[in-house]
Amino acid sequence: MLSYGTYLLPGTLKEALEAVATLPPGGRVLAGATDIVPYAREGRGGDVHLPVVVDLSRVAEFKGHQVGPGTVRLNASLVFQDFLEDATLREHLPCMPHCAIWFADDQVREQATLAGNIANASPAADGVPPLLAMNGMVELARLEGREVARRSLRLDDFIQGPGKSALAPGELITAVTVESMRGYGGSFQKVGQRRSLVISKVSAAALVKTDPSGTRFEDVRLAIGGVGPVPVRLTDIEAMLNGQPITRRLVAEAGAIPADRVASRSMVEYRKRVVSGFVAAAIEDALVACGAPMPTDADREEAHV
Amino acid sequence: MSDNVSDRKLSMTVNGRKISRPMDGNYRLLDFLREELHLTGAKEGCGAGECGTCSVFVDGKLVKSCLMPTAKAEGAEIQTVEGLAPRGELTVLQRAFHKTGASQCGYCIPGMVMAATSALRANPFADIEEIKERLGGNICRCTGYTKIFEAVELARDILNGQIPATALDAESAGNSFIGNNVRRLDAPSKVSGQLKYAGDMIMPDMVHMQVLRSPHAHARIVSIDTSRAEALEGVACVVTAADVPGIDGFGVFVHDQPVMAREKVRYVGEAVAAVAAETVEIARQALSLIDVAYEPLPGLFDAEKALEPGAPVIHDYAPDNIVKHIPVRKGDVAKGFAEADLIVENTYTTQQVEHAYLEPEAGLAYVDHDGVVTVISPSQNITHHRHMLAEIIAKPINKVRFIMSPVGGGFGGKEDMIYQGMLALAAMKSGRPVRLIYSREESIATTAKRHPSIVTYKMGLTKDGRITAVTFRMLADGGAYGMSTEGVMRKAAILSLGPYDIENCTIDTIGVYTNNTPSGAFRTFGGMQAQFATESHLDICAEKLGLDPFEIRRRNMMVPGSLTHTRQRLENVSIGQVLDVAESFSRWERGAPTSRGATRNDLGGPDVRDACTLGARFREIVENKSKEVA
Repeated sequence: MLSYGTYLLPGTLKEALEAVATLPPGGRVLAGATDIVPYAREGRGGDVHLPVVVDLSRVAEFKGHQVGPGTVRLNASLVFQDFLEDATLREHLPCMPHCAIWFADDQVREQATLAGNIANASPAADGVPPLLAMNGMVELARLEGREVARRSLRLDDFIQGPGKSALAPGELITAVTVESMRGYGGSFQKVGQRRSLVISKVSAAALVKTDPSGTRFEDVRLAIGGVGPVPVRLTDIEAMLNGQPITRRLVAEAGAIPADRVASRSMVEYRKRVVSGFVAAAIEDALVACGAPMPTDADREEAHV
Repeated sequence: MSDNVSDRKLSMTVNGRKISRPMDGNYRLLDFLREELHLTGAKEGCGAGECGTCSVFVDGKLVKSCLMPTAKAEGAEIQTVEGLAPRGELTVLQRAFHKTGASQCGYCIPGMVMAATSALRANPFADIEEIKERLGGNICRCTGYTKIFEAVELARDILNGQIPATALDAESAGNSFIGNNVRRLDAPSKVSGQLKYAGDMIMPDMVHMQVLRSPHAHARIVSIDTSRAEALEGVACVVTAADVPGIDGFGVFVHDQPVMAREKVRYVGEAVAAVAAETVEIARQALSLIDVAYEPLPGLFDAEKALEPGAPVIHDYAPDNIVKHIPVRKGDVAKGFAEADLIVENTYTTQQVEHAYLEPEAGLAYVDHDGVVTVISPSQNITHHRHMLAEIIAKPINKVRFIMSPVGGGFGGKEDMIYQGMLALAAMKSGRPVRLIYSREESIATTAKRHPSIVTYKMGLTKDGRITAVTFRMLADGGAYGMSTEGVMRKAAILSLGPYDIENCTIDTIGVYTNNTPSGAFRTFGGMQAQFATESHLDICAEKLGLDPFEIRRRNMMVPGSLTHTRQRLENVSIGQVLDVAESFSRWERGAPTSRGATRNDLGGPDVRDACTLGARFREIVENKSKEVA
């Protein structure tokens, strides 16, 4: 079971950074708390006592999002439910509603933050593939003396391995800034052991923009998760598709490639089989979302390679 | 002033009332609501955010209160299931749950009502797909969800004025309850969160139990030293097998299981000692102060190996490791096989299965003013438990009372008296009411499961598919204790051949001891394992003979006048009708299993569930956009 001594609810970034700078050993920063409580149970962390908790959910600067020229800044307290409910976010981040709906369930989405998902650096983190596809930049803050110092890192530089990130002691994620993907079709695919509340075995995010005639790929963004130590962008497949006429066969060929990328420590064969059809499905769904006709079963059958 | 949050008072608005209370060790919002405010409508099913039965509104957003640190809710506005309607009244949604019979065991229902309330608040016009999606974080093990979804749709339509509220009223049962829609008497207490399950009950001066469990599958207990635990402040008592005054043994058939491990442990997770203390936290701390010295013994984990000569012996009384062997013989099997054109042999295995009732095991025991040892628990077998406990604690039967609390799902898993004995002993030793609530992990790791089985089948058939002889041998892993194994073996033997009239057969069902988690009662009581083998085998035989699977069954099915292998002459037999209905409902394509027509009639019908999709709540937006672009 989880127990704690001091529980801090800082209201400002400065207060939060001060609390984090003086966090004693065993102290813990949390946001939604949806991971730490299940962790502190028999068979995982067992009885966990946290002498100090810094709960970031009331930091004023962490609330909401800002749309800039060509970018969207997602502040640290943004929760997954926001991607379903906020019309602005849906418009600018068209793959995120698909990602969010496959993430946990309504109750957990109300608490779980995108920043927390990144900070945990799980190989299966659902939030990471779409952020990679949107060229996400992680903004970090720490105290230098009495001043707030900030830096930004590309998301793929921030996440370094399973559970490992570039977050330095005393540092907090303040926001993730992504490119606005307005006008793209977005999709997210996920396979796990049940529909709701499941850790992904494999996930994939796709964002697709076609030329005005809708017959040629103009810009494709693809990323997969759960198949190795960190989620990865599939830049070679993107390059193979960009500028090409849209055909089912091309999509199927592209989908077959990522099977070789599976570098997980478990269920490798299963993941390989899943991931191929999966990336093709992600591209197809994204095409449908930007107006392409729904592929029929016969189409899929014909294009199967 | 201490900054320790447990000493500080927390303020919240709960169901419209302002409260200010110390957290007092209730670290999760769920504990604070239940233990401090006695709002037990929110339940704990898993403690890990998986099942949703703890759902409450915090500042208008539905959350799982088992995942929320209490201190996080400081200053928040909380609404629980108790606060949805004024006292004594029910919301339209709660009444709809009552009307459609959506509550069975009821343990998931407060959470379901909360999730459904949240769904209709978010979208009063949510369609069925969106309703299903928004209830996706809640698990029910009884209903199959259909009646719950019906309730939400009924409430939605009434709230939107599409059907009159009179649709919620009781319907006349006429002259018979059969065939009429009758509302459950206990539903209002379930949909409102008022019903008290064992884990919801409290008594003055009550202490909390935690259990020390064996890390070994098979080991001799050299010594148990409880002195350090007993010396800990806040501990009321520690109990072990040494505290049992009477004959220490229980079980549904053979009384082979001690209340707590006696002399040796036989499976990982077996109770070795139990502590009753002022708080769960202290009890857990005390467990870490109990020193148990074990001498590991060779373990036995395979049912086949249990029967080999020289295998480790799990119980001295059963040196062959056999819990129960049920042999059934009918006709002349050798003659039957001689008449066969084809003999088909195969082996079928099934795995251990957990019941996963939403309510983990829980109980409350006390000794009353007349010295009556009383145990309240969701026992599926209280009279038998009462008689067994009287022997164990050496009291006359009139000094032992069992009260059956509402069973939050049992499915057979609550037939065994696995923890009631410990509670009784602790109540007797401490003189105080003692409550024990299993964690989900404890429930899964230590309680009885469905018997894993290995069925070896040999069947002789004529070319036209008539069965001439069968040998059927089921070997079932009973695990460390007998529990219901004897009955399960008997039932498996009775149901072994299914509804088929077979003249010559040899049937053996054998349940053995191993050091695996004990197997016990579970829905169908051995029938599932037997039917899996029999029906799979018939399909395989049909394929080998080029026969339609329905046809091979019709050629062998029992008819009025058939004599079963247990020598029962049947007067009424319905298998023919069952086959007809199954065939038409499944839109079966006639022919051998190897044949396939031009089109598949079985797929894509109105009664076939589509592949899993999500996104009902924004699908419309995407579809509209899709049309715009096109």
